[in-house]
Amino acid sequence: MTDHSRDVAIVAVSQTPAYGAFAGPEPVLIMRCVNDLLSRTGLERHDIDFTLAGSCDYLSGAPFAFVMNIDGVGAWPPVYESHVEMDGAWALFEAWIRLQLGDIDVALVIGSGRSSPGNNREIFALQGDPYLSAPLGLDPASMAGVQARTLLDANIATEADFAAVVERSWKAAADNPNALVRRSDTADQLLNQPHYAAPLRAHDVAPVADGAAALLIVAGDRARELCERPVWIQGIEHRIESHHPGYRDLTDSPSTRTAAAKAGADGTFDVAELMVTHSHEEIIMRRALGLTDDTVVNPSGGPLGGHPVMATGLVRVIEVASRIADGSAQRGLAHASSGACLQQNLICVLQGDD
Amino acid sequence: MLPDVDLLLEYPYTRTTGPVLGQFLTGLRDGHLLGIRNGDEVLCPPLEYDPETAKGLDPVLVEVATEGTVTSWTWVADPTSTHPFDHPFAFALVLLDGTAHPMAHAVDAGSIDEMSTGMRVAIQFHEERTGSITDFHFVPLGRVHVRDSGDGADGAEPVTTIVQLISLNYHEPLHAHRARFAQGLLDGRFIGQRSPASGKVYVPGRGYDPLERVEMGEDDELTVADRGTVTSFTVITPIDYYCQKETKPYIRASILLDGSDSPLISVDIRNLEESDIRVGLRLQAVWRPAGERDLTGIDNRSVPLEGVIERWDPTGEPDADANKLREFTQ
Repeated sequence: MTDHSRDVAIVAVSQTPAYGAFAGPEPVLIMRCVNDLLSRTGLERHDIDFTLAGSCDYLSGAPFAFVMNIDGVGAWPPVYESHVEMDGAWALFEAWIRLQLGDIDVALVIGSGRSSPGNNREIFALQGDPYLSAPLGLDPASMAGVQARTLLDANIATEADFAAVVERSWKAAADNPNALVRRSDTADQLLNQPHYAAPLRAHDVAPVADGAAALLIVAGDRARELCERPVWIQGIEHRIESHHPGYRDLTDSPSTRTAAAKAGADGTFDVAELMVTHSHEEIIMRRALGLTDDTVVNPSGGPLGGHPVMATGLVRVIEVASRIADGSAQRGLAHASSGACLQQNLICVLQGDD
Repeated sequence: MLPDVDLLLEYPYTRTTGPVLGQFLTGLRDGHLLGIRNGDEVLCPPLEYDPETAKGLDPVLVEVATEGTVTSWTWVADPTSTHPFDHPFAFALVLLDGTAHPMAHAVDAGSIDEMSTGMRVAIQFHEERTGSITDFHFVPLGRVHVRDSGDGADGAEPVTTIVQLISLNYHEPLHAHRARFAQGLLDGRFIGQRSPASGKVYVPGRGYDPLERVEMGEDDELTVADRGTVTSFTVITPIDYYCQKETKPYIRASILLDGSDSPLISVDIRNLEESDIRVGLRLQAVWRPAGERDLTGIDNRSVPLEGVIERWDPTGEPDADANKLREFTQ
């Protein structure tokens, strides 16, 4: 959506490192981000009007884990909050909508997860159709392999192109203190690795991590009072495609095209952070968004450098916002995805003051 | 050093099928593959609606060919426990002859070298069928084993529900504060954490103070009493559900241990009757003998005490003032 009654800006961002396994409770990850945001802005906990969190109870294997997560926000005063069983990027979407109502000004947005105790591949197979897909254990990595092959068969990309995405992502991740991967293999070395979900190799699949991310969005002039350079949300929208992969053109991402158009994602971007959880997805996303070489893609290394599940999409927003806030970029695009084969896509257009 | 903990999260979902998927699954059980007409097209698996316009489709299903063409695929080299095979296999999109869109399913091809886009495959129905998408898989054409007539279950009641068993395994070390709490239980004492910000004592500690938003560690720990006061209780009447073991009503209570500011919740009490328990009642933990304490069920999510506490005995002290316990009622 680009039509909106109130200008809303990101005034502070925070994220934990992407941990291979974080040896503590999920609320601690959230608490570290929340305390960081409050100290950066000088806000007190009671200044937050609305809290919105994205997480997945299946990750920690505890019913109502999302309720316990509110401990990380601080249990007093009572928290006016909502939750999405989705990546924190969708929590941002809902919080942005909430601020449009006009009666409150400050919202806290969180994405968090501890994937290390469970088996990501088995858990996210349950996200598929419960009659036709989940009973087969049809998992996102396998579906990504099926999608990657459609690119090969259509002569859109090669396995070397997949490896090049990984090589570039890891190179960028080397400069990201929050990244999980610390490797610098060349594309040729990567291509010598065995297949994992052919034609994808293990390194083509983003390494799942434990972690949290959070940000504060504030409406109108208060945003300018709280930080030097607010990062304005110019547009944010998401769209979804069929849950039957056979009904989709897997070589393309029409839901991304529609979401991008609705979010006003035209013109040029200094930076784009794309939720590439499988290397071939970057190729699909670049094409769907029409990104040119003028746009730096995934300067953080992206999810291939570390994938804190349920926070990864929100981290994309944070990575773009950070670069606008520090003046190294003026306009940027953040993308988040959910479901197998880029089924659902969220586009957020961010811009700094001139 | 306490061992890592394993958790099996398992429960069945029962879902109604609706008119279209019900016919489709009934067909599978009876050895037939069915699709639905959408204008000139046939959709398999069938949808209840036109995928473009969302207009409802006439729920009359038609027989679909059991042979088709692979339009894309991947090779699962290392199957998980929820995959249909425990040996390597392919997931593929298969366009059944005469249908408009491919379906996602498994191909048991034996080797990745047998797989290619455009290859021809056929359905292998399983001998045992229940009315599930797992009643069949695909094999390379020509490799279908002779199967029964497929009519064995014809005439049985139509499939109207499916049961999906969620079964997930979790494995992790105990968090450091939880491990020290568990070790304390083996040693016959309750370890709490005192907030450095507020002085409030949490039992068991969570590794942080949720009110003051500060983390807590070993330096914040202390032993509290193993006697305390009932702040709340409920009597649970068991209902039948998957893996339910309880048959008779039983008590779950919240107990505020002396020296603690947060009650132990959901404490299992078997030695008292409903008529014996009340808010304010003073109780003493009776530990199991040191060699018999069992941490089974204690993980980072919950701390059932039944393995370490044999029973909770009334102390005989006068009741605590129930009005002063209201803030702990939960």
